[in-house]
Amino acid sequence: MPQVRIVAKNFMDMVAALPTMRLDKLYESIFICEAVLRSLTPLAKKYVVQMLYVDFPVTSKSMEEGVLPEGLSKHRVAIEQLLHLRVFLETTDRKKETSYKMNPKFQSNMRKYLLHGGVLPRVSMPLGVTVRLPTLEDLESYAQKQWERFLLQLINSAQAERLLNFSSSMIRVFQRGLLSSRENEDPRLTENGFQFLLMDTNAQLWYIIREYITTSEDRGVDPADLISFLLELSFHSLGEAYNMNSLTDVQSKAIKDLADLGVVKLQQGRKESWFIPTKLATNLSVSLSDSSSRKQGFVVVETNFRMYAYSTSKLHSEILRLFSRIEYQLPNLIVGAITKESLYAAFENGITSDQIISFLQQNAHPRVAERLPTVPENVTDQIRLWETDRNRVEMTPSHFYEDFPSKEVFETASDFAREVGGLLWEDSQKMRLIVRGELHQQMRDFLRRSK
Amino acid sequence: MTGDGDRGRPKKKLKNSAKASHFVEYEELDYAEDFDEETGDRDGEAKKRDFTKLELKLDHSNRPLWACSDGRIFLETFSPLYKQAYDFLIAIAEPVCRPESMHEYNLTPHSLYAAVSVGLETETIVNVLNKLSKTKLPKEMIDFIHGSTANYGKVKLVLKKNRYFIESPFPEVLKKLLKDDVINKARISSEENRAGEAFSISKAPGEINTHSGLLDGVDLAAVAEEKETHSFEVDPSQVESVKQRCLPNALNYPMLEEYDFRNDTVNPDLNMELKPQAQPRPYQEKSLSKMFGNGRARSGIIVLPCGAGKSLVGVSAACRIKKSCLCLATNAVSVDQWAFQFKLWSTIRDDQICRFTSDNKEKFRGNTGVVVTTYNMVAFGGKRSEDSEKIIEEIRNREWGLLLMDEVHVVPAHMFRKVISITKSHCKLGLTATLVREDERITDLNFLIGPKLYEANWLDLVKGGFIANVQCAEVWCPMTKEFFAEYLKKENSKKKQALYVMNPNKFRACEFLIRFHEQQRGDKIIVFADNLFALTAYAMKLRKPMIYGATSHQERTRILEAFKHSPDVNTIFLSKVGDNSIDIPEANVIIQISSHAGSRRQEAQRLGRILRAKGRPQDRMAGGKEEYNAFFYSLVSTDTQEMYYSTKRQQFLIDQGYSFKVITSLPPLDSGPELSLYHLNEQLDLLNKVLSAGDDAVGLEQLEEDADDIALLKARRTVGSMSALSGASGMVYMEYNTGHGKKKVAKIKPKDPSKRHSLFKKRFG
Repeated sequence: MPQVRIVAKNFMDMVAALPTMRLDKLYESIFICEAVLRSLTPLAKKYVVQMLYVDFPVTSKSMEEGVLPEGLSKHRVAIEQLLHLRVFLETTDRKKETSYKMNPKFQSNMRKYLLHGGVLPRVSMPLGVTVRLPTLEDLESYAQKQWERFLLQLINSAQAERLLNFSSSMIRVFQRGLLSSRENEDPRLTENGFQFLLMDTNAQLWYIIREYITTSEDRGVDPADLISFLLELSFHSLGEAYNMNSLTDVQSKAIKDLADLGVVKLQQGRKESWFIPTKLATNLSVSLSDSSSRKQGFVVVETNFRMYAYSTSKLHSEILRLFSRIEYQLPNLIVGAITKESLYAAFENGITSDQIISFLQQNAHPRVAERLPTVPENVTDQIRLWETDRNRVEMTPSHFYEDFPSKEVFETASDFAREVGGLLWEDSQKMRLIVRGELHQQMRDFLRRSK
Repeated sequence: MTGDGDRGRPKKKLKNSAKASHFVEYEELDYAEDFDEETGDRDGEAKKRDFTKLELKLDHSNRPLWACSDGRIFLETFSPLYKQAYDFLIAIAEPVCRPESMHEYNLTPHSLYAAVSVGLETETIVNVLNKLSKTKLPKEMIDFIHGSTANYGKVKLVLKKNRYFIESPFPEVLKKLLKDDVINKARISSEENRAGEAFSISKAPGEINTHSGLLDGVDLAAVAEEKETHSFEVDPSQVESVKQRCLPNALNYPMLEEYDFRNDTVNPDLNMELKPQAQPRPYQEKSLSKMFGNGRARSGIIVLPCGAGKSLVGVSAACRIKKSCLCLATNAVSVDQWAFQFKLWSTIRDDQICRFTSDNKEKFRGNTGVVVTTYNMVAFGGKRSEDSEKIIEEIRNREWGLLLMDEVHVVPAHMFRKVISITKSHCKLGLTATLVREDERITDLNFLIGPKLYEANWLDLVKGGFIANVQCAEVWCPMTKEFFAEYLKKENSKKKQALYVMNPNKFRACEFLIRFHEQQRGDKIIVFADNLFALTAYAMKLRKPMIYGATSHQERTRILEAFKHSPDVNTIFLSKVGDNSIDIPEANVIIQISSHAGSRRQEAQRLGRILRAKGRPQDRMAGGKEEYNAFFYSLVSTDTQEMYYSTKRQQFLIDQGYSFKVITSLPPLDSGPELSLYHLNEQLDLLNKVLSAGDDAVGLEQLEEDADDIALLKARRTVGSMSALSGASGMVYMEYNTGHGKKKVAKIKPKDPSKRHSLFKKRFG
């Protein structure tokens, strides 16, 4: 199993990774431009505004002139980011002097945006058609329920239950990394899958979306189309209804997939059907490090390794079960203990101590959230120590040799092993050797020769 | 450990490589064995209990607790009702763990017995619990409370004017008791009731205000009501067998013992009062109020952490009863301390108090007074000297108002029975800090002395600044290669302990800590070692005084005095004689280099040696200047049995809300020859010494008084074994003045102050 850590990068890295042609095509949409602008660092934002109405290249020197020495690193980061996203284009003239120019498409779109504002390709449906729209709270709980249902199914799939209700394209997404799907076997959660469960919702959503975009080509969908649609989606108003017939085929297929996750809610009227974006949709373009959207925590960990989770959710208890022993389940409280055995089970599944600790910290109950540290130090220390304890034993595939015909043969053999750097252990009295496994062929050849 | 790594690998072909890994990482060999016990604990999932069906009340967020049908109760400490709920729960349930945010309690028959005996009634218990609970009370719990309290507390044994009466507000219960032959025969029919059926009826004062602060709106009026009591008298000589018949294994009406001391005109009053400066703290007051709740004195146990002022509670109780008092302690040093406490807190005259130990046979004068002695002195069955025979006779014949028993968790049950049968007392008060025993004999105490009357919460006392805020740390000392190789050898199985205690890395860590605390902080340090060989070796090498079983009383006193007052003696080494009740208020650092297997109680008692609050109160309070002012280090050699024991030992303290920080980097890596045993040949020298010493010499010190020993070792002691060699057998009856104690008080050579370790930088910087 290759050690692939899930790196939940943000949407913009994905955008930046697109080929030039596609990226430039993306900038045809005003919303992409806005989303990109929002994702920039403050200094980069300032440079964009500064250059918005400048039509000629500006030398890097003149840009650096206004930078104080201590701000230099920030300046570099900003410029790099802008170049990365092709908001700025770099040109080098004959004197080898670098200058920057704004991406014309981006520039003209942003100017348009400044003058006229952004107009979505579709408008929300009038209230007369959509009779009873869900309230915002309903919508939020719907989204949350859908999302939890999805995660629960993911966990339960490990307990040999089928993933129902998901489109084949979504299931393929899960199978990339989260679930292993060997032939004739029920899907199991992989190492990544376990780690996935401990991430916060935004990171999880992003992971799924990223996989969804990367697999789009297999389904015959242009990733750039998908990205631009998803970014566009994040600019739709929360809780408003949008007509399904305003979508292209690709888009409406995507919308149906997203509805399974709770990103949008689908509703059907007498003649028309429509989708309603939920909070998950509007969070799509939000930078992942943004913690303002964080939910209220629910876990209290005590110095005696006991854990109390204020939650009624089955999902929470399943997630906690990944690394702790659940002892009591009360109507609104889950009581568990973090034990060596429960942690070892978690490590076995590929979950790391850092993931467990950060899960506990991020979900700390408000009662203990202000306390520092939120998870008692002795508990975090111990979790880490147990993990390092496991790593003390190093496994080296090796071969064991005995029954040497003579002392001489034994000695030349052990000398040879030492020479090639594979000798791990020897007992000259009993004439036994242990040599690294990868050198077995060499050893065999050598022994055959020396006979 | 090695077993765990096996799982991820292809099974068949690499059998050899598994072997190889053993050799490469041979340090792992023994590990799996040691942890076998733990892996057996896989029934975790089966233990999971699902109570999600319980119905939440609408205003559940305002209520502080959840109650499960199996008796477990969870209490939120941040609830506005926490204080009231805590007082209530501690009265009716057994605390399981009490860390910061959430407490757990268990409702047990014993805890309910205690609840009933302090005057709570079944209906009150159910009602209050229901009021506090976030959910509707599970039916099973209500049934359980009814079932457990049906019989408890219904019958009282009262000693009035030197006549024993069996009292009950329920005449039908008395009738039931009288159907029993033994009890019927023991009955003394009074003249007016010759018919035998009627009982004498009197009004007994009801419960006074002990629980009035419980909850607004909880109706406790019923408790305070005056009640009619029915009673009959029993023959004093038959009291023991009557009590026996009433125990749960027979008639199941365990009797509460109460002493109506105010109306006792037969026994003369002892004229003593608390001195005005003796101001009981709130929790001391509370525990006393549980004892004297209805104007009489109840027998029972009060549990307070070490250093929280148990002796003041004892002295206060004696002052309230104002009758002769027999005070039992575990050893001669603490006898002295108790006598001192009596004189310190009360107005008792010197001639009214006397000590009775092997060294100190003070004569009892006057017709009333206080006698302080040890359990062993009273329970000793062999031949005594003429002097002590006389004193014992007097103790036997006297009717004691109060039998005050210190450290009740230490004394074996059979010794208790003996002491209690020898001495006639109206009221028994047991004091302890740790109501845990490895031999599970705690329940015996419930019936021998009485129910637990009060138990304080350690963490609350720490927060209140009443006891020291201790930083606990477990120091992981890796075994040196040579020691570990010997440790693993089969032929050294009896020396395992000596090997991991004498581990040079541990020695260096210990030396480092001593030096650090002596020089950088000016602390007073106690080093504990159960292993006598190690104790001697460490103390000699570091040139510090030590006390063990065979150290004479005078010698002990001298060393302790020097430790208290001399600026040159800042560290003493103690064997386990120092575990209990030696009061050394000056000490604020404990380093434990060897300990008694998995004894949770020993760990807590040792911690107790430094719990007495230090410094100014305002500094101690949460957020004060010095968050920690006392330090408890437990040094363990990694990969040995010690690790396993250490986890077990800490359980009690962890349940009280303490946490152990693991330190893995002592002695600091950059430490060189300034600490001992730096060079390999020194270490090998030491190894040879350990290996050449006899198996006996490197074993444990054993003291007769310690019942946990037997439970933990599961081994019978044989005459002339270890304790005889160490002189610890002196504890059995007499404390020999063998004079073997070594006293080495040497100045510590000033050395360049060791660099402050990163760990401490963080803590103090």
